[in-house]
Amino acid sequence: MTFLMLTVMVCLLLIGFPMKMPLLAAAVLGFMIFMPDLSLQIVIQQMIGGVKPATLIAIPMFILAADIITRGRSATRLIDLVMSFVGHIRGGLAIAVTSACALFGAVCGSTQATVVAVGGAMRGRMLETGYKDSFTIGLIVNAANLAYLIPPSIGMIIYGVISGTSIAELFIAGIGPGLVIVALFSVYCAWYAKRQGIPVHPRIAWRPRLRALRHALWPLGFPVIIIGGIYGGVFSPTEAAAVCVLYAFVLEFVFFRSIRLKDMADIALSTGALTSVVFILISAGAIFSWTLSYAQVPQTIINSLGLEQAGPLMILLAINIAFFLGCMFVDSVVVILILVPIFAPLISAAGLDPVLVGVFITLQVAIGAATPPFGCNLFTAIAVFRRPFIEVVRGVPPFLLILLFVTILLLLVPDIALLLRDAAFR
Amino acid sequence: MSVINSLIKLDHYLERIESWILIAGVLTMAGNTIANVLGRYVFSQSIYFSEELNQFLVVIVTFMGLGYATRKGMHIRMSALFDILPPRTRKVMMIFIAFITAVMMAVLAWYAFEYVQKIAARGRVTPALQFPLYLTYIWVIVGLALASVQYLLTALKNLNLKDENVYVSHNRIDSYDDPQTESLLARQVDNGQDFDSPLNDKKGSK
Repeated sequence: MTFLMLTVMVCLLLIGFPMKMPLLAAAVLGFMIFMPDLSLQIVIQQMIGGVKPATLIAIPMFILAADIITRGRSATRLIDLVMSFVGHIRGGLAIAVTSACALFGAVCGSTQATVVAVGGAMRGRMLETGYKDSFTIGLIVNAANLAYLIPPSIGMIIYGVISGTSIAELFIAGIGPGLVIVALFSVYCAWYAKRQGIPVHPRIAWRPRLRALRHALWPLGFPVIIIGGIYGGVFSPTEAAAVCVLYAFVLEFVFFRSIRLKDMADIALSTGALTSVVFILISAGAIFSWTLSYAQVPQTIINSLGLEQAGPLMILLAINIAFFLGCMFVDSVVVILILVPIFAPLISAAGLDPVLVGVFITLQVAIGAATPPFGCNLFTAIAVFRRPFIEVVRGVPPFLLILLFVTILLLLVPDIALLLRDAAFR
Repeated sequence: MSVINSLIKLDHYLERIESWILIAGVLTMAGNTIANVLGRYVFSQSIYFSEELNQFLVVIVTFMGLGYATRKGMHIRMSALFDILPPRTRKVMMIFIAFITAVMMAVLAWYAFEYVQKIAARGRVTPALQFPLYLTYIWVIVGLALASVQYLLTALKNLNLKDENVYVSHNRIDSYDDPQTESLLARQVDNGQDFDSPLNDKKGSK
């Protein structure tokens, strides 16, 4: 019966049904098989209950803040800032892309927006300087994934809510691995630039540097609110998100005047629609996971995989592989909604730190987003740069290897993620 | 065909109403959440009904946005296998997908109706505001029913096999361009023009 449920789900997924359908169909089917006496009203009750947790409000708030920011020029200001500081070292332009993606990811948290904002502004300049297009696009689609790991991160919020893990701790734990990725990408960029003989830019004097810093000061307020506020225990993630909305509005509306009041209707509409798309999945995911646990599907799967006796390292490895494979094919939100309830009993039985598991999951989600065949950043890049799929994918492998290396590193040294978390919360 | 066309005309008004509900929902949610934070930190007084209001708004936005997002072809699908099928097969598949989804939405709308009826009969009220609970849930029925109609319209639109295009919704042709990326790109064009940064020079891009 479990098998039937999962088969229906995978089939609907592959045929190309809207993503809520595989979740709903599997849930309704499982419901009718395992609980024939109960009314389907419970499905509705669970679906409504799924979107009600108060912490989920952080998602529309972060989407709204990002929506406001992307209409302004925060991205260009941040790019100018990092360029003025790292532009003169070897591979400086590529390193600037990496750092700008990390900074912009700390401002808005959407990888798609990061590809558009940073990639759109930097690709032409990288090509002019002599970087190959495959390297450039590979770098952009992978560096944009830092937006997943560096708070705010919508994937982390969803994982936190459905697994009952502290979102504040997840946010802080994501920073360490994010910085490691920035460092490793930068080293690779410098090595690549040296091998390809790419010219360096002249060093920029301190006066323009300070000017760039002054220009970027306002957008840098976002990480201060989100990371500083949460690390310092001033804000909960939802409160930080609300403050971000207010800050973004004051910034773009009052100071920069890049939006007018009537634009707010447009912004609210696109936020509302996007929120609905994500929340209907969360809603369907709630009844899916409820049916799953009622029918003891996770145990069945875990037993059939022979994982019930596995040690913590083995379990982490299994989680990583499952999420990596899943995210290669399916949207990350759906993968989180399907796989987290399946692994949940295993995680708690093995006594694994749910925050660490969350960081691994986010890391795999990030890697999957830039991995062929169906990583979502790749399709954003196709639309933004107007290059065919094969050219967009060509530059990905070296970065993929670095990211997989980071996974292994994190398996061996979990403190990369947990050190900051422990410093803030323990 | 004329029935579909008049339905589509009606749908135009529906889209406007849905848009206004979404806009009002999101802005109220933002105002409420911000006010609550400010209240807590500046006046050390939380809004006692803040969480309840947000729950109500989230339900509205989620379910009333369902039809809107369907119309705009925003719902995520894994279209990789779908895309390699020949056009005619794709069209038939789309009719199948849209029809089955419409049925599922209609079934759920029906059970939502039963559920809301049950809650109304019990006279449950929300804890903080003492507002009848069923009134905050009615949107679920409306949203699911409207989504069902949208998918039905999509199926009907694709029934015309002479038309080569595959429609993901009654007014959107299936394409590789993702609506979200499109809107992000549109913003870039709006903004980039008067920026004086040397980084904004796009000469080199092909």
